[in-house]
Amino acid sequence: MNGKKVIQADQLTKFYGQSRGIDNISFDVEQGEIFGFLGPNGAGKTTTIRILLDLLRPSSGEVRIFDRDVRMNSFGIRQRCGYLPGKFSAYHNLTGNQFLKLVSKIKNIPYQNNAELFRRLELSESDLNKKTKELSHGMLQKIGIIQAMMHQPGLLILDEPTTGLDPLMKEVFYELLLEEQQKGTTIFFSSHNLSEVEKLCTRVAIIRQGKVVGLETTEELKRKAGQMMEFQLDRNHGELEIPGAEATLHRDQLYLFRLTGDIAPVLKRLAELPVKSMSLEKPGLEDIFMNYYKDQKAK
Amino acid sequence: MSYFRFIWKSNSGFTFFSMVFIALFQVMILYLVTTFDTQAMLKSVLEQMPPRLKIFLDDAFFSTLTFDGAAAFGFNHPIVLALLAIVAITIPVKHISREIESGTMELMLSQPFSRKSLVWKLWLSACVILGMIILVASLSSILAVQIFHQLHVDVLIKIIYISLNIFLLFILVMTYTLFAAVSTKGGGFSGSLSAMITLILYLLFFVGKLWDPMEVTLHFNIFNYYQPQNIMLGNGSIFRDTGILTGLTIILLVLSWHRFDRRDIP
Repeated sequence: MNGKKVIQADQLTKFYGQSRGIDNISFDVEQGEIFGFLGPNGAGKTTTIRILLDLLRPSSGEVRIFDRDVRMNSFGIRQRCGYLPGKFSAYHNLTGNQFLKLVSKIKNIPYQNNAELFRRLELSESDLNKKTKELSHGMLQKIGIIQAMMHQPGLLILDEPTTGLDPLMKEVFYELLLEEQQKGTTIFFSSHNLSEVEKLCTRVAIIRQGKVVGLETTEELKRKAGQMMEFQLDRNHGELEIPGAEATLHRDQLYLFRLTGDIAPVLKRLAELPVKSMSLEKPGLEDIFMNYYKDQKAK
Repeated sequence: MSYFRFIWKSNSGFTFFSMVFIALFQVMILYLVTTFDTQAMLKSVLEQMPPRLKIFLDDAFFSTLTFDGAAAFGFNHPIVLALLAIVAITIPVKHISREIESGTMELMLSQPFSRKSLVWKLWLSACVILGMIILVASLSSILAVQIFHQLHVDVLIKIIYISLNIFLLFILVMTYTLFAAVSTKGGGFSGSLSAMITLILYLLFFVGKLWDPMEVTLHFNIFNYYQPQNIMLGNGSIFRDTGILTGLTIILLVLSWHRFDRRDIP
């Protein structure tokens, strides 16, 4: 990453009639970054992506991609973007080959360049010669990935890209993305699968009900969320209070706390208790995500 | 594969069917006219009709059942008009409304493919498809006239005028369907709307011809500017009809560009 901003979204708001799609969303994505865009279904991820691609026009706010206004330079920007929609759909009357040839023609690139992608994603000639309506969801998703990556775009916008891929193929796809990142490609990765975002992304924006409720590096998010501490006492000691930790679960002798501050006072308090066993774990993004949602609800 | 080829591939089946059907239909009508004394037969039917209907049918159909008139009648038969209307309505609905609904439009417009270019290429492809069907219909008419009768230069020119007239009429039908497709949400609504408008205009055309109080509506009816029998009888207003149909098409095409460029997808 060189600090150069590839996407600059500034106070984006989109209303559909009276109902709100997204509300005052701002974020930047740097060149060579894999940027996670996390949120549950209906949070506003797809609306944001469609505004980035000039498919939807924002009610207010502005987006710049490659330092150019999306509305004014839509065509030029899309030449340098690859996009995989959340519900990828190809023309049913075309074979995979024909569909990709059509996309190649529109992108103005030679179709032959895709052999390596076909090999990596295990798409055989017979798969490619089937009508797209005959392909399984996973196979179709591979076609979608190829059409997004076939022209070596400077920016990849991926909306729930691993839907339908089996675990092995997901790993291949992650490798491909990391290789693209090495080449300097910027990747905007929308997902509700937190573990893959954790695996790939350098920074994450968390979106909820159309608003960005968190925007951190993945590491910072984890640090903020602290660690999960699980211990077992000799018997049930009732509700416990530990400075610098927040109780999340208590069942009989088993206690689960989330560490939010320094660990020294926690250990000091534990030393006073008849602890039979104890473990510390870093929380996954799932836990962080749930905490973000819980915090927002509390507010 | 180019976008033109894609549109052609998606519509080739029904296009071929329409070509073959209309071509055979033209040949069949001209064959019937040479085989039976249809004029005498139909004249006796005509005598039974109320006076107003008699004048209309005489103008529109029966007096033209001379051999050359039959060639024009082939272009004005409801089956032929219905087939061409289906082609004209289906293409924009399939490639705009249905694609918006299925999500392929979102994918296409995320590519370096401008909205104006998409509308223009789709419109042009539909023109080519309609043009091909009408060309085959014209050639079959010309061929049938030559086989069953005798082809004169003036008849040839009149068939070319009629072909141009019907081509412009259905380009207009296709263009207002395109406008409906780019203005409405995805799905089949634009097709239903366009079919309904076409049918109502067609019915109003007959009502206007048959009922004096409604005659004024003919000026606002696109079917009034499609007059194959009049062209064949030498009474057509080809420049007026061409001007009005072309003008309306251009206006609707520009409005379609404008609307599609500004709308949200989906």
